[in-house]
Amino acid sequence: MKLLKYTIYRLLQAIPVLIGISVITFLLANLGPGDPVSLMLQGQEHSEELVRSIEQRYGLDRPLHERYLTYMAGLLEGDLGQSIHYQRPVADLILDRIGPTLLLVLSAYAFALATAIPLGIVAANRRNEPTDHASRIAALVGVSTPSFWIGIVLILIFAVKLGWLPSSGLIYPWRPPSSYPGISGHLELYYESIRHLLLPMIALGTLQMATIMRVERTQMIESLQGEYVKLARAYGVPERTILRKHAFQVAQLPIITIVGLNLSTALGGAVLVETVFNINGMGQLFVEAIQQNDYQLVMGVTMLLGVLFVVGVIITDISYAYVDPRVTYGERE
Amino acid sequence: MSSEPLLRVENLKTQFFTEAGTVRAVDGISFEVYEGEIVGLVGESGAGKSVASMSLLRLVERPGEIVAGEVTYKGETLFGLEDGPNGDLRKRDEMLSNEEIRTRIRGNEIAVIFQDPMESLNPVFTVGGQLREFIELNRGLSEDEARREAIDMLREVGIPDPEQRYEEYPHQFSGGMRQRVLIAMALACEPSLIIADEPTTALDVTVEGQILDLVDDLQKKYGTSFIWVTHDLGVVAEICDRVNVMYLGEIVEQAPVDELFYDTKHPYTQALLESMPRPDRTVADLEPIEGVMPEAINPPSGCRFHPRCPDARAVCKRVHPEPKVVADADGEPHRAACVKHDVFDVGYDESPPLEGAVDGEGSRRTDEPQSELAANPAGDEPGGDGGE
Ligand code: SF4
Repeated sequence: MKLLKYTIYRLLQAIPVLIGISVITFLLANLGPGDPVSLMLQGQEHSEELVRSIEQRYGLDRPLHERYLTYMAGLLEGDLGQSIHYQRPVADLILDRIGPTLLLVLSAYAFALATAIPLGIVAANRRNEPTDHASRIAALVGVSTPSFWIGIVLILIFAVKLGWLPSSGLIYPWRPPSSYPGISGHLELYYESIRHLLLPMIALGTLQMATIMRVERTQMIESLQGEYVKLARAYGVPERTILRKHAFQVAQLPIITIVGLNLSTALGGAVLVETVFNINGMGQLFVEAIQQNDYQLVMGVTMLLGVLFVVGVIITDISYAYVDPRVTYGERE
Repeated sequence: MSSEPLLRVENLKTQFFTEAGTVRAVDGISFEVYEGEIVGLVGESGAGKSVASMSLLRLVERPGEIVAGEVTYKGETLFGLEDGPNGDLRKRDEMLSNEEIRTRIRGNEIAVIFQDPMESLNPVFTVGGQLREFIELNRGLSEDEARREAIDMLREVGIPDPEQRYEEYPHQFSGGMRQRVLIAMALACEPSLIIADEPTTALDVTVEGQILDLVDDLQKKYGTSFIWVTHDLGVVAEICDRVNVMYLGEIVEQAPVDELFYDTKHPYTQALLESMPRPDRTVADLEPIEGVMPEAINPPSGCRFHPRCPDARAVCKRVHPEPKVVADADGEPHRAACVKHDVFDVGYDESPPLEGAVDGEGSRRTDEPQSELAANPAGDEPGGDGGE
C-alpha cells in the first residue's frame, strides 16, 4: 500500500533529524554555564576527592564525545540517564509527568478545532458582516494575548470571583477514583477531571483557536470562490452541501498543516500554563530541571519534546497525504 | 425548427453595483434558442457573454443583479418582473422561486460546461464521485444506478477505461480529458439545454477540434440545445446554427451562421471577421480591431461601437441604434443594430465621417487595464481569452 510505504519512508527520514536534535541538546546541556557537581554539593564543605568520585560516578570525567556515545547507547535501551536532583531515572520522571501535559495539549487542540472551524466557516459565509468583524477582533485578541495571562484572568474570574471552577491542579481520569480524597466513583472522577481541565485548556487553546479560525476563514473564502463551487451551484447542489462538503473539504488541507506545525507553540505554551495552574506536567519538570542545572533531566525532556514535535510533523504529512489525493508520496507518478 | 422556442430571453439586463458605479454588463439583450440547435454568443472578453449566460440560471454573484427582462424556458418564467402597484418593479408571481430554480432547472433542465476544466472539478473528490453526485441529484437515481450511468457517459465521451478512470482524481486527467468529463457531466443530467461557456478556450487547437467534433456528434445523438459562449468566430463557424454577436452588453448582430459570415451586416462583426485567422490569409493580412473595448461602466454615447468603428459618422455618436431586421434568410430574421441599416432614416448617409473616430480616442488606451476590469466585474471569462 502506497500510504504505508510513505509512512515508513517518512519515519526513516526522521532519524537524521532526531540525531541532530540529540547532538545539539547534548552540547547545550553539557557546555552551558553552571556545574552540576557543585550544585549537588550545594556549597557543603567538600574535598577534591569527593568531587572526582562524583564526576566518576556520573561519567563526567570522560571526554564529551565518549559521554555522548554512552548516552545515545543508553537512549536506545530506553535509559535516559539518572536525574541528579531527583536521584531517580529520567525516564521514570518523564513517564510520571507526560500524562498531564498530553492531556492538556490534546484537549487544548480539541477545544481549538471544535470552536475555530465552525467560527471560521461562519465568518467566511458572512464575509464583511458584523459576525465577521467580531470574529476578526476576537482572533486578533486571541493571537496577541499570552496564554499565561489568559490563564490568570480565567482564574481570577471563574475560580476566585465566581468560584465555579478550581484554580489549580488536574484530576487524571486514568487513575482510580480512590486516589483522590472526596471522589467516589468513576462518574464523579470524570466530572471533576473535566472541571479541572476547563480553564487550563482554554488558556492554552485560545492561541490555536485564533490562528486556526483565521486560516479557516481565508481558506473557506477562497474555496467558496472556486470554479468547482460555481459548478456545484450550477448543478443545483444545495448551498449547505456546498458549504459542508464541496468547499469545506478543500479548505481543511491547510488546517492540518497549521495544527502540526503549531505543536511546538502548544508545547511551549503548556510550560507556562502548567506553571500558572500548578499542574505537575512536563513543563514544570522542565523548569525545575533548568533551575537545578540537572543536565540529564534537561536533555531527557528536550529530547522528548523534539521527538513529539517530529512525530507531530510526520502525522501531519501522513494525514495530508491521506486527505489530499494530489500528494504524490514523494515520488512522481 | 418548431415555432415555440425552448428558451426566450427578452430585454435582459444584468448590472453590477460596484463602488465605482453601476456596470451595465448585460444591457437589454433578446434572443431565442430552439430545440436541438446550437446558438452562439460571441464577443470579445468583457462583452458580457458569460454574465448573460449565468443570468439565465440566476447564478449572477453579488454585487451583480438581474434588473430587468424576462427569461422563459419551456413556458416557465425563470425570471420576470412586472410593474407593481406604485409603479415600482416587482417579481412576477409565476417566476420560479430560488428553490425551484435550483431543484427543477439547474442541472436537470439547463446544465453548464465551464471554461476551465482544470479548476471546474473539485480536486479532493474522485471524478466518478462528482459525476455520480450530480446525476443522483438531478435524475433522482440510486447510488448504483448513478454510478452505472456515470461510467456509461464517460465511455460515451471517449474516455478509455471508464471503470478505472471513474475512481481517479481530476489531477490524473489531462485538460482535454477533464473537459470530456465536464461534457459527460452535463449530458448525464439529461438537460434540454447546455450552456457551454468558452469550453474549449483553455485547450490547445488539436484537442479543441476533437472536443468540437465530439459535441457535434453528441448533440446530434441527444438532440440537446446548446448556448455556445465564445470569443472565437472560428468555433462559431464550426459548430453553431445561429449566432448572436455581443458588444459591450448588447447584441449587435443576430443571424443564422451562414448569413452572418457571408452577408455580414454589422461593422463590429465585420471587424471580428477580419481579425480572425483563416487558412486563406497570412498573419500580415490580419486586421486587429482598433482600440480596446471601453468600460461598460460608462459606455460611449450613441452606438457603443462608434469609437472603434471604421464606418462611424457623426450621427453614430448621437443615435443609439436598436436591433432591426435587416434581411430575411428563409424566414429567419437577420438583425443588426447599426444606423447604417436603420429603416427609419436617421441621416447616416448625409452625416459627415467622425474625425479620428479610432485614433482620437487615445485616452481610452491609456486606461486599458481598468477598462478590462470594469467591464469585467464578475470575473467574467477568467484567464483572458486572447480575444482582443
Ligand atoms: S451605428 Fe455607426 S458606429 Fe455603430 S456600427 Fe453602425 S456605423 Fe458603426
